[in-house]
Amino acid sequence: MAERKRPSSVHGRLLSYLLAPLLLLLVAGVAVDHHVIVSPIHSAFDHSLSRSALAIVARIHAMPDGELAVSLPKHPPPPLRAWEGEHFFYRVSRSDGGTLAGVDDLPLAPDDHSEDGFSYADIQFRGEYVRVASYRTAEIGTPLIVTVAETPIRRDRAVHRLDVAFLINDTIQMAAVLVIALIGIRIALRPLQRLSRQIAGRPPQVMSRLSTEHVPSEVLPVVESLNTLLGSVRDSVLSQQHFMANAAHQLRTPLTGLKAQLEVLGRETAGTALEDRIALLQGGVDRLAHTANQLLTLARAEPSAHRASHFAPVDLTHLVSEVIDSVLDRALAHGIDLGADAQPAQVSGVYWLLHELLINLIDNAIRHTPEGGNITVRCGVENQHAFLEVDDSGSGIPLDERDKVRERFYRGAGSPPDGCGLGLSIVDEVARVHGGQLTILDGSSGGGTRMRIDFPPPA
Amino acid sequence: MRILLVEDDSLVSDAITRGLVSTGYVVDAVPDAESVTARLADTHYDLAIVDLGLPGEDGLSLVRKLRRGGSSLPLLIVTARDGLDDRINALDLGADDYLVKPFALPELAARCRALIRRATAAAANEIVIGGLRIDLAGRRALNAAGDVLELTRREWSILECLAHHSGRVVSKERLTQAITGWSEDISGNAIEVHVSRLRSKLGGSATVRGIRGLGYRLEDG
Repeated sequence: MAERKRPSSVHGRLLSYLLAPLLLLLVAGVAVDHHVIVSPIHSAFDHSLSRSALAIVARIHAMPDGELAVSLPKHPPPPLRAWEGEHFFYRVSRSDGGTLAGVDDLPLAPDDHSEDGFSYADIQFRGEYVRVASYRTAEIGTPLIVTVAETPIRRDRAVHRLDVAFLINDTIQMAAVLVIALIGIRIALRPLQRLSRQIAGRPPQVMSRLSTEHVPSEVLPVVESLNTLLGSVRDSVLSQQHFMANAAHQLRTPLTGLKAQLEVLGRETAGTALEDRIALLQGGVDRLAHTANQLLTLARAEPSAHRASHFAPVDLTHLVSEVIDSVLDRALAHGIDLGADAQPAQVSGVYWLLHELLINLIDNAIRHTPEGGNITVRCGVENQHAFLEVDDSGSGIPLDERDKVRERFYRGAGSPPDGCGLGLSIVDEVARVHGGQLTILDGSSGGGTRMRIDFPPPA
Repeated sequence: MRILLVEDDSLVSDAITRGLVSTGYVVDAVPDAESVTARLADTHYDLAIVDLGLPGEDGLSLVRKLRRGGSSLPLLIVTARDGLDDRINALDLGADDYLVKPFALPELAARCRALIRRATAAAANEIVIGGLRIDLAGRRALNAAGDVLELTRREWSILECLAHHSGRVVSKERLTQAITGWSEDISGNAIEVHVSRLRSKLGGSATVRGIRGLGYRLEDG
């Protein structure tokens, strides 16, 4: 069997839709920040490099022989000193390429004819990347090129630090946006949660419209369609009930006529050859009438057929005494001692359905209890639950048949021929309409059966 | 005893008529509510059996009309509908009893007998159950032989209460209430003692059946 797909959550979907663009934005943002900050940093460091070149120019002087010389102290002042971990190179050269002082293989930055005489370049020198600044000037009438170079460790470190700072900053911003978005979604989804609680909290038989108050306009169409659906379900339930009432009438009236006619005929033909055949017909019509009745009851016991307004407090002791009153003659005719142990108990229910439930339980017990046996109907309250049970001293139901007997039209081995196999289905259905449960237990006398309905505790 | 049957289905109407006639009633059958008024105007009936699902004016509205008109005619409703609403409606409107189709003729006959007996008892102040005659005005009971039974006041109260609801189970609590006028504190056991004495005094003319856990029922013979 295919694994059931987890329902997609709006949170999850929004998160996945938001996450990818936000990550792209983050990368783009850091890149833009990097570009924006890199050129000012570079010009600041280039400026400081140009200071070094000027400091060297200041130390060029003419020797007595007319040659130019550069005198640098052993420990040069800051602009001319390499920072820790950095290398600093310089070269003073003539325009013909001859070196006056410094490192004579230091390449020059190509001349870009800038107004201030400075030109810059990134080059590789002695296996390192260095930033080179060349200053083209003329000293004492001689054109000179002063070139300084440094390994760009400080500038790279500065750029790197700023990049990290931007990354952290942007990430925090994005995370904040996500959290705010999720909180916003949660708040925006509250009306939906309220709606689902409203629907879940309704008893199944309630089919009134859902309230459209405080429903945001986006959710309103959902509520409206639910209301339309509820309305059509209500209509179809009503029309089904109407149909059942008509069907009941159309079935029962001719059955009554047939039954009564056969009874009269039976009396009139008593002692003749027709008597037995009339009795057979009567049995058939009785069974037909019983089945029709049970089917109608079962159809009308469907949970969907009951509106909340049908439910009213039902006094179980009253129910027990009324039902026993109506079936007492049948029990006495079978030689069965039918009695009650009724303690005060009340349930919220549909009276005539509970009446049918108990009639069916007792009917069943009468059918399966031999002459001289007894049946006790009990009701009361146990652990705050109301219960109703019918306890007989009859043949009992084997354990493996106890689930089957609730099935429609199931008739166990040795069932008397007058049943139609719907009795316990009706009991089961009515119990469920009332939120109760049918349990089949051993009779308390040892043999027999105890059919027990446990009702839910009062709401 | 004359019964008016209001039933539109000829199969049912014919069978009920035959069944009740064979048990000794005179039965007039009409197919709709409109014919009832004319019948009642010139004939005395002891009971009317009314089907709820009549063509034209339905049974419920006939019941309402009769009761509003001040008629005290006992009314037995028969119907193919089994919903409680209909039943409550019919009883609220003044029907005396209610029977759901399909029913057996003996059951219908028993209901008719009970209703007519109740109405007659109210008129004659007398209830007859089997061989037992209970004279409500004279506060005495006579057996089949016509002898007056020697009953204590409590036994009389119990018998009277049972007789008013003959054929139905009367709870012990109700019987206790019926005799508490004579004693402040009566236990369930005391009721049993009184009932058992009453039983032996009734002899064979009527039976008081004990229903385990519920109460007692007064039955014919």
